[in-house]
Parts: sequence; structure tokens; C-alpha cells
Amino acid sequence: MLTIRELTKTYGGSIQALKGISLDVSPGVFGLLGPNGAGKTTLMKILATLLEPDAGTVEMNGFDLISRKDKTRRLLGYLPQDFGLYPTLTAEQMLNYFAKLKGVTDKQERRALIDALFERVNLTSARKQRLGGFSGGMRQRLGIAQALIGQPQLLIVDEPTAGLDPEERIRFHNLLAESAGENALVILSTHIVADVSSLCSQMAVIRQGAIVASTTPQQAIDQLKDSVWEATVPREQVTTLKARHQVISSQMLGGQARLRVISKGVRPSEEFTPATPVLEDYYFDLISQR
Amino acid sequence: MRNFATSPFIAVFQNEVLLNRKRVAPYALMFLFVANAALWWSRPAVQFGWATNSDWYIVRNLLGFSFLLGLPIFNAVIMADPIIRDFRAEVDSLIFSKPVTRAQYLLGKFLGNFFVLVCCQAVFPLTLLVLQAFPTSRMIVQPFRVFPYFKHFFFFVVISHLVLAAVYFTVGTLTRNSKIVYGLAVCFYPLYITYAVLLLRPLSFRWRLALDPMLLSASLQGNGFLHSAEFLNQYVVGYTADMIANRAVMILIAALCLAVLYVRFTIAERSGNVEKLSSLNLSTAFAAVYYPESSPATRLDDLEKSDYTVTAFVPHVALPAVARVNEGFRANLIKLIATLGVEFRLLRAERSLVVIIPLVIFLSVVEVAFYNIPLDVSYSAAYATNTAKLLLLFLLGISVFFIGAAMHRDREARIEPVLWAAPAPNNVLLLSKFLATVLLLCGLIFAVGITALAIQVSKNHTPIDLLAYVRVYGLILLPSTIFVTAVAVLANIALRNKHVAYVFSIGTAAALFYLYSNGYNQWLYNPVLYQLWNYPDLTGSGSKQSIILIHRLYCLAASVAFISLAHILFQRKSTRGVRVDGHLTDRGWSILLALVSLTTAIGTGWIISSRH
Repeated sequence: MLTIRELTKTYGGSIQALKGISLDVSPGVFGLLGPNGAGKTTLMKILATLLEPDAGTVEMNGFDLISRKDKTRRLLGYLPQDFGLYPTLTAEQMLNYFAKLKGVTDKQERRALIDALFERVNLTSARKQRLGGFSGGMRQRLGIAQALIGQPQLLIVDEPTAGLDPEERIRFHNLLAESAGENALVILSTHIVADVSSLCSQMAVIRQGAIVASTTPQQAIDQLKDSVWEATVPREQVTTLKARHQVISSQMLGGQARLRVISKGVRPSEEFTPATPVLEDYYFDLISQR
Repeated sequence: MRNFATSPFIAVFQNEVLLNRKRVAPYALMFLFVANAALWWSRPAVQFGWATNSDWYIVRNLLGFSFLLGLPIFNAVIMADPIIRDFRAEVDSLIFSKPVTRAQYLLGKFLGNFFVLVCCQAVFPLTLLVLQAFPTSRMIVQPFRVFPYFKHFFFFVVISHLVLAAVYFTVGTLTRNSKIVYGLAVCFYPLYITYAVLLLRPLSFRWRLALDPMLLSASLQGNGFLHSAEFLNQYVVGYTADMIANRAVMILIAALCLAVLYVRFTIAERSGNVEKLSSLNLSTAFAAVYYPESSPATRLDDLEKSDYTVTAFVPHVALPAVARVNEGFRANLIKLIATLGVEFRLLRAERSLVVIIPLVIFLSVVEVAFYNIPLDVSYSAAYATNTAKLLLLFLLGISVFFIGAAMHRDREARIEPVLWAAPAPNNVLLLSKFLATVLLLCGLIFAVGITALAIQVSKNHTPIDLLAYVRVYGLILLPSTIFVTAVAVLANIALRNKHVAYVFSIGTAAALFYLYSNGYNQWLYNPVLYQLWNYPDLTGSGSKQSIILIHRLYCLAASVAFISLAHILFQRKSTRGVRVDGHLTDRGWSILLALVSLTTAIGTGWIISSRH
């Protein structure tokens, strides 16, 4: 169990990135959703021991992650949002290096682990290739491979599917789901709602440095039962409807606008028909609230 | 009519100048050239009564500048990779998709970089020109002049280097491999000397003049030493028809090189690389195993469905359970060795090493190889002393620049967050960079030693006394290298910025050497013992052996203190506090080590100052 209490972080004395965040995270895949600039990466960096918070505590099973950084790093697997690799090393040399840094000292074990990791992320044929020639997707896969070394108890992945094609994204989801074993805790930070809905058993939404919701994807969707309505209307009516109803999304299709609105149990107007709520509705509803 | 100022050629040209403005190399070159102009300005003019701004002395200085000083090699630093950089930064496709012709692109690149090179070189005559206004008491200075500096600079330096630049640029662009260009640059001196000795020397003076690409034959016979000062001070260097023909041929060769490049240049990636890149596509989509229907739209839609899984197609590989050892000396030693190995691999990939190592070896042994050096206690002692004095300055420069690169490499490669989240202690990350640089420099010292030994044997200056080399290099060079590297590590961590650290290091070193040269040479602030020792002092037959040994201990203690301070100030935070669970933390050990080493340094410093 990961317990975060009253975590705050301010940059340069004026930009408050985290405003007293508190969260309880159980083992499994936990999704942290939020728009760009909401404070997701700051929170991830604090959890990954790379950033010092101004105040607050983070504990995992009663053990303080903030003050005992050396020990925390032994539990940790981390895939940052933006990372590079030494372009002149081969994938195998790089992974071997990370394995040694993570304390896998036995040569045989290390070799077996690296072989399995390459198989798992589908990079076996590229293991002798220099990293300078890797594509974005391959680099990302090597990133997750290094994060998985040593069966980390806390796996932090920050915006991991950015830049991946749909096929690689799904493979990546499966990798993460498998990695969250019985006791491991995976924190997935993303602004892609579909990633959370397909993968996470728990989730939180962060906006402007504060947690605005902490729930499960199913509970989130259940909250919007009988509240989501959809209509396809001429483009000219959009402004009027936006002024009258709580519009959570609008999409242009063939010259017409498809609107989704929230209205608790009451049909907004004749144009609207009931729609099945999805996690995006919940997210957009939260984010659009002022 | 199209405006020339807004043409693609000018855009490429300006962009090259802009890119070079943001590189360190041009500024480092300018600094070096200014320093050398200041050094060469009065020597040997004052000694022989030559006017420092006579026409002949200006040409003498410019020819020396053009040929020596590694200028043909520095030329390659600027001209080797302008095009390679575009491919490396992957902006090639963005550029070639614009309406820019091959000629505009190549010429813009070449002239933009050559312009920067010439600007760097021009600081040499500019410094000489300015120094006319500051003559020393025994110096002969003729009336202030401006034009001859630039006229001769253009004629003797710019045109010679135009050819070299064109060759380097052509080879670099066609091979897309800057290492080949650097290799070529390193070969310049042996090739040129062989050419001059075997082909030029037997020819008549006119032919020598016409066929000498550096125009070194234009200098007066005996380099001025065969003529009186009065004659030299009045001598005006004129451009003969042979010299003009030589320059015209040089320009033609440069044009020919660029023409070959124009014909052979292709914007496509070379076939070898294409093949390598094509293997990057590891997608299994070509087999269509994930897509139940044929429509591409349906395929993607299906993939987006939350319940869609691909596990059936990707073999599930269980990760083997592994034992992890993260505590104890052995675990940290294994991590240190691993990190050191990676640092060495990265150092090996440094392109600048290809140039620097041979150049330093060459310049360090140049005196013992080509001149009769005064005999010390023995030939070996004289060889070791001479090479050590020259090598020392290079070691200082290399340690500062390579530590700068190593300390900031992880951030620049954006690998820092991944590395810093790994359970490797800070001392492993820091010491690996420190040790890698020190070991590299040890290798360089060894290589210079071996070369000096080989020269000693080849000149029949026997017997060989290996102990003399071990004494000089071990007592003077090694501790000085360790000290400077430790200071550079601390400077880079405390100042956070590589370039600020460079400026700080160069500024401090320049100020200290200025003080030493002016007689303010105190043992306590001369960690490299510059001008404070002779070979007999190291053997015990001199008067300073004990103080030198104490001084070396003082330097090593100060080095440990600096490394400990660097560890304490390191940006990557470790466990808070100095004691946890009854054990000292990394931070605790650093503080303890810093205190012990500082006490040792203060103690040894006190002994040194009390003896002087």
C-alpha cells in the first residue's frame, strides 16, 4: 500500500505544481490522469526519488520513501516521460549495465534475465544494435525492459504510450498488466483516458496540482449512469447549446457537430438521446469544471 | 528579380554561422590563438633585435601560425561534420524538402563554416596588430601598421587553409564519417613532412615555391637567423609570380574538391545505413495477425477497443527470479566497475580523442625528437623531464574538458532520470567519471613515455633508465592530474554548468600561470609544481625531495577533500541525515572523509609553508 499525504511542491517560489496531494494506492495498476501541466510528472519524479518535495510524506507499507532514497531505489522501476539512452552502446550493453546497477550481480542470472526481457519486449533481434539507431517505439520498449529489471515492487511509468503506434500501445498495456503481480504496484501517469480505462483497477484525476477525484474506472462510469446525452446538430447551434447545457465534448463530423452533455436524469432537449457513459465523459466533466 | 540576401544559400550560410556561435570549439580556438599570438609576439624578436611589426616578422609569425599549433588539425574540427550534423540531428529531410539546390546547400555549408574558421584564425593577426600599441622596453617597434597583417594573413593562411578545408569538408560529407576526417587531419604532419623531404627538397627554389601548399618555402632561408636584424627589419615580403601561381593552384584545387563533392553528393542516406535503419521496423503488423478484418479503419478501431489483447500472438516469457545485492562493499564495487566500463565505452566514442591523443603525444615529444635537449643527470632523466613539462599543460586542459563532458553527458543524453532512479550510490556515479578521466590521462602519460623511450632508443641515447620516467611521471604528472581532475569535478558540480566550469577553470589556470611566470610562485598554490622542481630534486641529490613528497601528499589530500565536497553537493539526493539504523550514510562518509582529508591538507600545507 502506498500512502501519500499532503505532498506539496513549488517551483521558483511561485509556480505551485502540487498543492497538498493525498492518495492511497493499493497493489495493481493505478492510473493518474490529468491534462498537460497538471502536476503528474512532478508527482512521478517525487515518487521516483528524483525530486525533493517541499512538504508531505510518501510511505510504502510503512516505509518512508522520501527520507530513505537509497532504499527506495531498490524497490523501484522507473520509466520517465522523456528519456534518452547512450547512442553508442548496444541495447544489450545498456540493459546489462542497468541490471548491474540494480544489483543483479550473478552473471548467469543476469544473462537469463536480459534474454527474457528482450523476448518480452520483442527486441531480441535488435539486441546487438546500437541505440542511436533505435526508433521511438523501440526506445520506449527498452525503457520498459530496464524498468522491469529485478521485479520492482513499485513500478512508475510516466506517459509511457506517447509516440507508440496502436499495436505497440496494446502490447505495452499487456506488459504492464503482467508486471503488476500480486504485490507489485504500478503507477501509470497519462493524459490518454483510454489507457486508464483499459488497464487500471484504480485511478485518480489531477488538475492544477490537486487531486480532484480518486476512484475506480467502473465507479467513475457508474456515477454518470443516466446522465450522458448525445446529439448531432448543425454547427451553428453549437454556441447556443453550449450556453444552455453542460457540454463535455463536441466533435465535428461531416459538417455537423456531435455533442455530449451531462444532465442528471433529465433530457436536455429534444435533439438529445441517452448515451452510454464512458470514462472520457467522466474525465472531461471533471476537467471542464471551473 | 530574386533578392540574393534572402536566397537559400544565404540562409544556409547564416545558419551555419549561428550554429557555430553556439559551439564551444570556435571560442576555444580563438582563446588558444590569442594566447599564442601573445606568446609569439616578442619571442625571439627581442633577443635578436628584430622589429616585432616588420613585414618579414609578420609573415614569419603567420607562417608559423598556419603550419604549427595544430592549425591544420583544428581546421578539421570546424570543417569535418557540418553536413554529418544535419543527418545526425535528423533535420536533413526537413532541409531537403525545401526549395534549396544542392549547390546552394553545399556551398552555404562550406562557406559558412569556412567563414567561422577564418574568423577564429583572424584573431591571431588581430592580436598581433593590437599588441603593436603595447611594446615592452627592449622591443623594437616600427610605425603602427594595419594592412600588411591582413594582406599576408589572407595570402599565406586563408588560401592554404581553404584547400585543407575543402578536402576535409569533401571527405566528411562523402563518407559521412568525421573520424575519417580527423584521422586524415592527424596524418597531415607526417604526410606533409614526407612530401617536403622526399619531393620538394630535391627541387629548385622556384619549383619548391610553386608546389608547397603551405608556402613555407616563402620564408627567408634559415628562418631569419642567417640575416642581420637591420636587413630583416627593412625587408618587404613581395608576392612573386611563382607564389601567386601557387595560390591560384590552391584555389583551383579547392574548387575541384568542391566540384567532386557536388557531383558525388546525394541527399539519400547511404545504403549501409538504410539497411540498418530498415531493420528498425520490428512491427509484426505486416503479418496482419492482429486484425480480424481487412479494412484498415476497422483494424485500428479494433485495436483501440479496451478488451482487445494481443497476448495470443506474443509469446509470454516469464521473467526469471534473480537475486539482487545492493548492500556492502562488493556490490558497490561491481557497480563501480560496470559504470567505469560504460564511461570508457563512451570515452572511446568521443571523436575529439582521435585528434587529441596523437596531437598531444606528438607535441609532447617534439623537442626530444627533433632538437638536442640539454643532458640532465642522464638521457632518460632529460627525456622524462622535458616530455613531462610539455605534457603537463595538455593534461590540465584535457582533464578539465573531459570531466566537463563526462559530468554533463548523462543530462545531455537525457538518461539521467533513468540512472538516478537506479539503486547505485552517488559515489559510484561520481567516482566512475573521475576515475575514467584519470585512467585516460594515465594512458596518455604512458603513451608519451613509451614514445619518448622509443625515440631515446632510436637516437641511441642509452642507457635506458626506466626509474627516471617513473619518478618524473609518478611524482609530478600523476598527482597533478588527480588534483586538477578533482577540482574540475567539484567545479562542474558546484557551478552546475559545463561552460561556466570551463571559463572558471581556464580563467583560474591562466591567472595562476601568469602569477607563476611573474615570480609569485608559492608552493601552496602551485599544485602542479610548475617551475618548482628539477630532476635531481626527485632523486634526493637535490634539496627539495622531502618537500616535494609532502607537497604531493598535500595535493592528494586536497583532491580527496574536493571529491568528498563534490559528493556532498551532488544534485542527486540520497538518504537524508548522516546516520541511519546505526550506520553512516553516504553523506556521513563524505563529511567524515572531507574532514580527514582537509585536516591532512592543512597539516601538510602548514609543514610546507613553515619550510618556505
